[in-house]
Amino acid sequence: MSQVENNQKGPTGLRITVLGLTFLFSFPALYLIWRNFTESGDPFGLLGTQRILGPLWRSISLALAVSVTTAVLGTTLAWLTNRTDLSGRKIWRFILPVPLVFPTFIGAAAFIRTMNPGGLINRMLSGVGIEPAIEMRGFFGAWLVLTLFCYPYVYLPVAGRLRQLPRSLEENARVLGQRPHQILSRVVLPQISSVITAGTLLVFLYTISDFGAVQLMRYDTLARSIYTSQLGNQSVALALSLILLVLAGIIVTTERFFSRINFTTNETLVGEPTQYSLGKWRLPALGFVIFTVLLSIGAPLLALGNWATDGLIRTTRGGSPLTIDADQVWESTWNTFSISVIAGLVTVAAILPIAYLTARYKSRVGNIAHSVVIATFALPGILIALAMRFWTLQSDWAYDLVNNTKVLLVFSYAVRFGSLAIGVVLLAVSFVPKRLHDAGKILGAKRVSRLLRIDLPIMAPGLGAAAGLVILSTMKELPITLLISPLGFSTLSTRIFSSFEEAFVAEAGIMALILIGLSAVLTWFLVIRKAEHI
Amino acid sequence: MKLRILLLTLISALILSSCGSDTRSLEGLAADIYSDECSSKNGRSVTIYSGRKENLILPVIEAFTCETGTEVQVRWGASTDLALLLNEEGEKTQADVFLSRSPGPVGYLELKGLLGTISSETLELVDQQNRAADGTWVGFSGRRRVLVYNVDEYSPADLPDSVFDLTSEEFKNKVALPGTNGSFIDWFTILMDQYGEDAANEWIENMVANGARYYPNNRSIVEAVGRGEISMGLVNHYYNYQEKAANGSEHRAENFDFRNNDIGSLLIITAATILESSTNVEAAEDFLQYLLSSSVQEYFTNQTYEYPIAAGVSPNSALPELGTFGVGSVSFDELGGGFEEASRIIEASGILNE
Repeated sequence: MSQVENNQKGPTGLRITVLGLTFLFSFPALYLIWRNFTESGDPFGLLGTQRILGPLWRSISLALAVSVTTAVLGTTLAWLTNRTDLSGRKIWRFILPVPLVFPTFIGAAAFIRTMNPGGLINRMLSGVGIEPAIEMRGFFGAWLVLTLFCYPYVYLPVAGRLRQLPRSLEENARVLGQRPHQILSRVVLPQISSVITAGTLLVFLYTISDFGAVQLMRYDTLARSIYTSQLGNQSVALALSLILLVLAGIIVTTERFFSRINFTTNETLVGEPTQYSLGKWRLPALGFVIFTVLLSIGAPLLALGNWATDGLIRTTRGGSPLTIDADQVWESTWNTFSISVIAGLVTVAAILPIAYLTARYKSRVGNIAHSVVIATFALPGILIALAMRFWTLQSDWAYDLVNNTKVLLVFSYAVRFGSLAIGVVLLAVSFVPKRLHDAGKILGAKRVSRLLRIDLPIMAPGLGAAAGLVILSTMKELPITLLISPLGFSTLSTRIFSSFEEAFVAEAGIMALILIGLSAVLTWFLVIRKAEHI
Repeated sequence: MKLRILLLTLISALILSSCGSDTRSLEGLAADIYSDECSSKNGRSVTIYSGRKENLILPVIEAFTCETGTEVQVRWGASTDLALLLNEEGEKTQADVFLSRSPGPVGYLELKGLLGTISSETLELVDQQNRAADGTWVGFSGRRRVLVYNVDEYSPADLPDSVFDLTSEEFKNKVALPGTNGSFIDWFTILMDQYGEDAANEWIENMVANGARYYPNNRSIVEAVGRGEISMGLVNHYYNYQEKAANGSEHRAENFDFRNNDIGSLLIITAATILESSTNVEAAEDFLQYLLSSSVQEYFTNQTYEYPIAAGVSPNSALPELGTFGVGSVSFDELGGGFEEASRIIEASGILNE
């Protein structure tokens, strides 16, 4: 029983709304096409040259490697913490999403600071006579850092989905004599595969858009080529960006073609999901989770904590005072919190109609909107910022209305992070049982009333989780915040950037810890608690 | 009930603290620049896009507002990103002043025709080599290129006289270069200008052949040298002062100056510009002159360890003397165009994959 309502294209009002949203979400793509045209960028001419082939290949191979490892790591962690008798699973469920909130530019730097030669860990190890020879750089360094920071994109949706799978299917399989690993591969995996794919796709796109980690790890990808040629050779940068977007478009369309989020059951979860015993694997599994947490959260936290305490001790010893004061930190913390919550809510509201059209109807408009929203995630943030600025300048009316307001900032965040919300929202929409809907229709409830009284309450946890993902990403966002925010508006992330760039590592460390603390609280309320109730 | 009392206390504290602002004066670093009572607002305002970071320049802006009564709004960001934004915004930008961390973005904006002409009154506050002949920019502080080295591995006597000596066998696999960094590309542009494109090209190719390693920026090199990950690197001078202030004796690196005014120890100017489209030119000029005043120049050299270039202020005693090279000896127009060529040669050398 599919949720798709027999070949209908969907209500006209909904389709027009989605069309309008698609136009707004296409702003960065339209900007790139227009600028390539006016600046005589030559993407086709570039395609065969070494200038593009090397970085393109490096981007793709890095993205593939990171995708594979995050898919395996994210799924394994989700399984262990949600469906087994792993010790401390409640605590791990809370801790594991935390890497999502490390801004990569400082996360990667903190990681280098801890793990590389002369770093904190190495000094501790050499204190006991061990000299580790691994150095974080190049492909290996970029792969490791991105894997450790990106696995939550897979972990979170898979964990949510694992907890909502109806018990009955697995029970039936067990009664029919299937062994646990057979149940896993024949019953559970097919039901979570579409969620794994959706999460992995985000990891792939994020990896090709990432600049912070590859820059610090010195791995020359397409995104880095774009950054380094922006000023000296703008037409090349624009052409490279367009190629990046086309690549993302191809990947997203391919994924759409092969996998649709389909729900084969209308049953809702009753009771706790089936739990499996790890048996003799309990200890190794616990070791694996602890190892992941130590690497992905422990290592950067160690460096940040080290910077912060050095700074605080420095001031008490009469060294140079900190260049930030409590008022500034409080103001930035409040700004970070409020703007990201608004961005989360607005993004989910903008994504909801698209998810509705895609999940409930067979609509080409819905499919195009879905692809545009996701593919945009491959573009580096600065391009989105420049695109938004460009379009508001095209009309005096729009400029006067939104310039120097938070409206434009929130809109830009929604375009940048809509992709993070769409998968989870789609899941939430699809999860509203059709028969409840039909019952509402028969009882004479109008469409709006059905939406408010049936759909929204059932979708609420999913929408909360989607908003949570956007909020966490907005909190650490940098280029859009710097270039699009109203003058004088600062967030924790922009202040961390300022301090860190000028080597004020103590200030950067303190504010990064505040950012992580704030995100941990929000993760708890928005993502974990909601995801458990999806 | 207790909560209500607490809230009332908080609110009254807030009201009390916001009163009395008519006789406000500055605190912290800003008070070092201007310690008297603040002037009342003069109705003027100026908007700055600053590639110089908040921690360093906010005290200057606060002192300016306090002393003159002119209101200032700032957009902070990376110089390159802000230059790209200014290009998008064109005529409609709110920015009156653009402060760049290095000459490259200024050259870019000049090529795009977005920079206005600064008055001669302001320009003449600095020496001829530290300002544009056509008046589009004025320098306000200097950063020297140096060789930062790990003190556990090298002593100054073992270090080379010239940046050209770094290509010798002795320094194989020892040197870090910030190939994509703005200051490095500026420096390379001037190297091309002074020694010719072929010599510059040969130098960087030999560096790559000699196992030079790429790092994304000055800061990461200074940090890595301090840990002993790599022996030495070409960077701006002041990062090492900041790292030492932050990490103390744990940071095992010092700056080294090439001898005989070698081009490796070039002074690079940070520049202030006024946008062509600015509607607050007077306030913008005021601000530029303020940057060049003796109290601000002293602040730059004492707090950020930069080289002062105006008002007869002498450099902080911790800083070594300046050589004779100055970026002003090269036209910024050439530098803007040369920047592109320099980036291309650096990229072609393959250093970015090392």
